[in-house]
Amino acid sequence: MKWFANLSTPGKLLLAFGSMLLILGVVIVVSYQSITNITSSFKSVHDQQFTIAIELHELRSQQNYIRGQVLEMILTLDKAGQQKAEKNINEASNVVEGIIKNLSKLNLDSKSLSQLNELKSHLTAYRQIRDQQIALIYEGKREEAEQIALQTQDDNFEKIRSISAEMGARAEDEVDVVIAQNQLDAAKAIQLCLILGGVAFVFGLGMMFLLHLTMASPLLEISAIAARIADCDLTTTVAATDRADEMGAMTQSFKRMTDTLSNQIREITDGVNVLASSSNEILVSTSQLASGAVESATGISETMTTVEEVRQAARLSSEKAKSVADSAQRVVQVSQTGKKAVDDTVATMLHIRDQMEAIAKTILQLSEQSQAIGGIIASVTDLADQSNLLAVNAAIEAAKAGEQGRGFVVVAQEIKSLAEQSKQATTQIRAILTEVQKTTNVAVLATEQGTKAVDGGVKQSSQTGEAVKVLAESSMEASQVASQIVASSQQQVVGMDQIGVAMTNINQAGAQNASAMKQAEIAAKNLNELGQKLRKIVDQFKIKGA
Amino acid sequence: MTGKKKPQIAIRKESELEILHARAQALAKEPEKAVPASELLEIIVFSLGGENYGIESVFVREVYPLRDFTPLPGVPSFVLGIINVRGQILSIVNLKIFFGLPEKGLGQLNKMIILHDECMEFGILADEIIGTKVILQKAIQTSVPTITGIGATYLKGVTSEHLIILDGKRILADKTIIIHQEAE
Repeated sequence: MKWFANLSTPGKLLLAFGSMLLILGVVIVVSYQSITNITSSFKSVHDQQFTIAIELHELRSQQNYIRGQVLEMILTLDKAGQQKAEKNINEASNVVEGIIKNLSKLNLDSKSLSQLNELKSHLTAYRQIRDQQIALIYEGKREEAEQIALQTQDDNFEKIRSISAEMGARAEDEVDVVIAQNQLDAAKAIQLCLILGGVAFVFGLGMMFLLHLTMASPLLEISAIAARIADCDLTTTVAATDRADEMGAMTQSFKRMTDTLSNQIREITDGVNVLASSSNEILVSTSQLASGAVESATGISETMTTVEEVRQAARLSSEKAKSVADSAQRVVQVSQTGKKAVDDTVATMLHIRDQMEAIAKTILQLSEQSQAIGGIIASVTDLADQSNLLAVNAAIEAAKAGEQGRGFVVVAQEIKSLAEQSKQATTQIRAILTEVQKTTNVAVLATEQGTKAVDGGVKQSSQTGEAVKVLAESSMEASQVASQIVASSQQQVVGMDQIGVAMTNINQAGAQNASAMKQAEIAAKNLNELGQKLRKIVDQFKIKGA
Repeated sequence: MTGKKKPQIAIRKESELEILHARAQALAKEPEKAVPASELLEIIVFSLGGENYGIESVFVREVYPLRDFTPLPGVPSFVLGIINVRGQILSIVNLKIFFGLPEKGLGQLNKMIILHDECMEFGILADEIIGTKVILQKAIQTSVPTITGIGATYLKGVTSEHLIILDGKRILADKTIIIHQEAE
């Protein structure tokens, strides 16, 4: 049986149905032959015996008709009726001749042929007598014609009838023989068919059992497992087989399918869990987003207010920028005036520097001269010293002179006091001169510093000139920039108006956004419910190892 | 315009007040009595090493500015050198070193006083010649117990004004001042 199980399903089916078809072919051939034989025999019966019987029957009826018409002619006195009857007689005799011709065409056995010839001769005789009768009738000899009809013609008619009846009976006998033969043949054929049918039934039963064993039972098993899978039970699976046919392949495929299904359901479970948690999170997020959208809507409203304020501010700044531009224009004029003033200052500073240089020279000369005065004072001091000594000497000399020198002592005293006074004067002069020298030194230093300061001033004033120049240029630029600012601020005002419009749109969009977020929240809620449902559905699945 | 005037203030400054005060004191002094010439002593006052000295004008020939003196080698340290005074060569003695007084500070030492008597003539150094002065003989306090040694022999006394009166006669007569040294 192993070989059958390993046979492929088309092979199995071919084997089963092929053998059945073979038996069926045999049955068909046998039946065909039997039926053909029966049909051919029936055909020959139909073509010959039935034709003969029918034609003969027709012939008899026509003969009867002719005989009737002849008798009618005899009985009818009126000519028109006689002619009409004659015409009918002629037509009927023509039919009879046609029947005879048809019968002659058939394949008749010798006995029938001789009977046919006999029939022909009788018919010919009958026609001749009838023609005599018709002629007698026209001549008015109706009794003679009647006589003929009742005597000769009746014999002929009887003979024709008997011959034709005999022939017809023979034909019917033959038909009975053929039917009997055919019945025999049919019985044989039926017997053969029955035998073959029995064989086919037994074979078919075997095949059915085999097919059931190899195909239906695994299918049933798989269908049972499939039913369990349909009931969300994936814990069982088919046992692996080593069968090489489609059943084996199907079993393996089914096993793979269940494995894959359980894996996928596991993954789907995971995915559904993720989906459930994600949808939950999405729900939370959308709730937050919805509240955020509401907040942003209020924020947009506030922003709109702010934009309105900013627009007012921009208007104000535009006006301010205009006044700034005017101021900048004035600053340009002022800075140009300042530039001129600074140029004058630079010139004046240069003049002051020259003056300062002259002063420094003069003070230097003064210092030198005061030093010369110092030298002179030294010599004067020396002179006063000597005068003092001289006065002392004079006093000594006067003392030597005694009483006579007494007046001279006074003179010497006076000279001495003069010398003292001149010395004091020189001391004072020296002090003053020292002061003067100090002052001149200070003045020298001061002039130097003054010169330096003036230099610095010159530098500063030239720098100032540069600065004022730069300032003038800057103020020029500032003026231009202020003009640009005026233009810009006007554009800004326009822009702020546009922003206001845009903010209105944004506000509407925000409101739409908020409603959309509400819808999204509902959708997220639905999604969350869907996730829960999916989780329930997935939880229905029982998975191996889960 | 009622014609009412403020009283003029005579003394306006402090200095003027001082001057007036000094005048008042001068006028309040007793006039000096005439003193006989024998009791008077005329001296030359000079400063040396921060102290004032006096010497009788009788022993002074003249005062002279100390210029272009020539130091002498091989003499005691109290001999500064020699000087030409109008063609006459005189030796110069530094009394501070001679008296053994400490060299205190820097003096000008640019004057000399020429002392003389019948047999002797030399110059002594002085920082400054202050002038002539007449003092009473009895104003000189002769016995000063603090002054001892060499210095004491050449001093006549000290006045109440801390003026040290030198004894010109003794200085001129002193043998130690004469340097007699022969080349050996």
